[in-house]
Amino acid sequence: MRLIPARSGFPLAVAAVALAFLGLFLVYPLYNVFQASFFDPSGKALTLANYVKILGTPFYRAGLINSLTVGSLATLMTIAIGVPMAFCVARLPVPAKPALLALAALPLVLPSFVGAYAWVLLLGRAGLVTQGLREIGLDGISIYGKQGLVLVYTLQTFPYVLLPTLAAFKAVDVSIEEAGQNLGATRWRVFRTVILPVVLPSVLSGGLLVFMETLENFGVPFVLAEDMPILSIQAYKLFVGEMGANPASAGVLGVLLICCTTAALLLQRYYLSKRRFATGARSVPPELVVAPWLRRLGACFAWGVVLLALVPFAAVVAISFLKFRGPVMHLEPSIGNFVLLWQRGERPLVNTLMLATGAAAGATLLGVPIGYVLTRYRSRLADLLDVVAMAPFAVAGTVLGIGLVISFNSGFLILTGGWLILVLAYMIRKLPFNVRASAAILHQIDPSLEEASINLGVSPARTFFQLTVPLMAGGVIGGTILTWVTITSELSATVVLYSGQWSTMTVEMFRALEGTGAGTAAATATVLILATILPLALIYRVLKRHEVALL
Amino acid sequence: MTAIRIDGVARAFGAVAAVRGVTLDIRDGEFFTLLGPSGCGKTTLLRMVAGFCDLDSGTIHFGERRIDTVPPHKRNAGMVFQNYAIFPNLTVNGNVAYGLKARGIVPDQIDDRAAKALKLVHLDGYGARWPHQLSGGQLQRVALARCLVIEPEVILLDEPLSNLDAKLRVEMRGEIRQLQKRLGITALYVTHDQEEAMAISDRIAVMNAGSVEQIGQPVDIYQRPATPFVARFMGTTNLLSGSVIRHEGDRAVVRAGGHDFLVGAPGIAEAEPGKAIGFSLRPEALTITAPGAKPPPGWASLEARVVRIEFLGALTRIELALDSGLVLHAAAVDMPRALAEGPVALSYDPARVTAFPGPCD
Repeated sequence: MRLIPARSGFPLAVAAVALAFLGLFLVYPLYNVFQASFFDPSGKALTLANYVKILGTPFYRAGLINSLTVGSLATLMTIAIGVPMAFCVARLPVPAKPALLALAALPLVLPSFVGAYAWVLLLGRAGLVTQGLREIGLDGISIYGKQGLVLVYTLQTFPYVLLPTLAAFKAVDVSIEEAGQNLGATRWRVFRTVILPVVLPSVLSGGLLVFMETLENFGVPFVLAEDMPILSIQAYKLFVGEMGANPASAGVLGVLLICCTTAALLLQRYYLSKRRFATGARSVPPELVVAPWLRRLGACFAWGVVLLALVPFAAVVAISFLKFRGPVMHLEPSIGNFVLLWQRGERPLVNTLMLATGAAAGATLLGVPIGYVLTRYRSRLADLLDVVAMAPFAVAGTVLGIGLVISFNSGFLILTGGWLILVLAYMIRKLPFNVRASAAILHQIDPSLEEASINLGVSPARTFFQLTVPLMAGGVIGGTILTWVTITSELSATVVLYSGQWSTMTVEMFRALEGTGAGTAAATATVLILATILPLALIYRVLKRHEVALL
Repeated sequence: MTAIRIDGVARAFGAVAAVRGVTLDIRDGEFFTLLGPSGCGKTTLLRMVAGFCDLDSGTIHFGERRIDTVPPHKRNAGMVFQNYAIFPNLTVNGNVAYGLKARGIVPDQIDDRAAKALKLVHLDGYGARWPHQLSGGQLQRVALARCLVIEPEVILLDEPLSNLDAKLRVEMRGEIRQLQKRLGITALYVTHDQEEAMAISDRIAVMNAGSVEQIGQPVDIYQRPATPFVARFMGTTNLLSGSVIRHEGDRAVVRAGGHDFLVGAPGIAEAEPGKAIGFSLRPEALTITAPGAKPPPGWASLEARVVRIEFLGALTRIELALDSGLVLHAAAVDMPRALAEGPVALSYDPARVTAFPGPCD
């Protein structure tokens, strides 16, 4: 393979711009985090003292262990739920499948800490369900701590496993099953020895996403972990405490987080590199004919999981219209919470909308050309770009935020305190998704179309804008809106980077949770849920076509 | 009107040499075909001429102009793609006008020229249609019109007929050939179908494993294959290996598979006795007669048994076994009424045997 794409100024220009951008706003900040953790306070001598100090403290060791335990348990749980559910949806006559699938993807885009908060409203100390249970004498059910984290993560991230596994089950041609049975194997044996191994890579890809998400998540443990140490929270607290001084300890935790995610990523890559199966069913495998009780069980299971994941969100919307006096909720309808929220100023809402719009547009403008170069012009330079553009995937928002603050707090470029640093952080964080979505769309467009255009006399750059972009438009718009939606509920980088007037809805909710404004928090949650649901409903048709590609 | 000169062109993908030092002179106005099995490098070579694949070494010229260093969008070589590559977001007119717009032609001239091009491919009146409303054959015509309308110096066709059904394929190849001759444009055509290549081409280059095996007119390539590969690739043949025993005038007796064959290929007189050679005997060169019948003067004859008859309509393929068990294939136009399994006499004109130095594997 060539070092640079040959005879083509356009991919080279895209790669140069993209690498410069990522170099400045991703690699340089991460380098600074590494540097802070590996150097002594003078910044000159290399040292492991920071690591020795942190890892020598039981509190931080516990944080690392807790984070990994919760992440692993949640990953196992999502696989335990996602795989059978995918099989049910793929092969059993579950009622209202299209609706089920549309709803099943929702937990991924709904703000996770809103979900966590919703569970607190239901099962927390003063929760509706807890109180109800207490009245009939049941006590001791707690949503806080490890079991709560695993529960919320599982219900929030199971679609990461469900959707690719479902696609994989559908891609196994029925003739494979028939061949197995024809050779004398039972249905169960064929499933165990052929179908399951074939879908396993998809299951693991989904599982990896779950693990990454749980490790980096900030909002859910903030709501549910209470006193239990969790890595991402500790990094944030240390950093806020260390402000101004050398952020060595926060840097160490950041590097540990990156190491964990990178190790998981490499482990998965290593495993998958030896297992690539070409599948491609000519037709979707037919639904199985099973006993009625089994059919009902499958339907109840699939719908049960989806409803359990979504009910808290519905509950929080309902609760936001109840009357609150301080933290105490009364069963009386009221719009008081929203009035209170509005009185605190409309700036956070405006900020959220503006920042998300700017960042989603930026991530698309950057991600689509990168995706194009990666799919159409393979070269060593493109490979480097691939690695760098996918790197944010393994970087927790908190860590990226810390890196950006260290890097642009002083010196040649000062960004802290403004809106741009938030937009940049969002762009970087959402870039891997945008690049992957663009690449997935491009894989469906025949490259000979572009060659035909170039052959007819249109330069590669003009061909991209004049032909490829219009052909990609549907999918790209879908991807941009999905990006927008996820940015509106971003918390882990925002909480490090926001300042005074650039507070967002998520920060407002974060603050309301820290204080006693339970009613305002519920109202904020409702606004965030609406900001998620409404745009998705608008583009549902577009998304449906790219359902899995956009994951 | 342009000749294409490909000189010492090579390209490797990793460790695999896709094209190894190919040199071709394609004459002005010629219909030239690159023929070979998949993976032989023919499409790579075509894409090099179009500019979609880089050269490791060598040069390509259109007339006097060196083009391998020119970016693909400035080469003015119209290409027709295997899957048509019709822009789905543009109408037929939009597709045909695409290259004209890129050249900054004034709008009313664009309409005029696009209409003429569509007429040329018998699609007048289809301008406002969308690609998804057209059949495969019609899409192929749009692709042709789109490529011809820019008045390219040469046209490049990459297996343009492989996605059409058999009948349409025959019809379209005739039309493409006619159009090319009428416009007098140089055409470089890629196919893996030897029959299509022979039907359509002025000359053919047969390629194998990145190299050219033989260049020539269809008749020469079929009747006088230069290598065992070409003999085998161009239709069915009996490919045998043996050694020269003696000479009979300018012909040689070659023992192969336990039988003596009379080989009259040019140059065979120079082969030393004992030399191992290969030879090809086309099935249609074998004549089947009743056992003991006298062959025409100068012909060689063999005794054989018919073991299998495959009736294909116009053609009948016959499998024969010699005493030693050696199997030969013969073909006859029109099924001979009396033909049945059993002993027959085989005869052939030794001049129709093609010989190759060294045994063929």
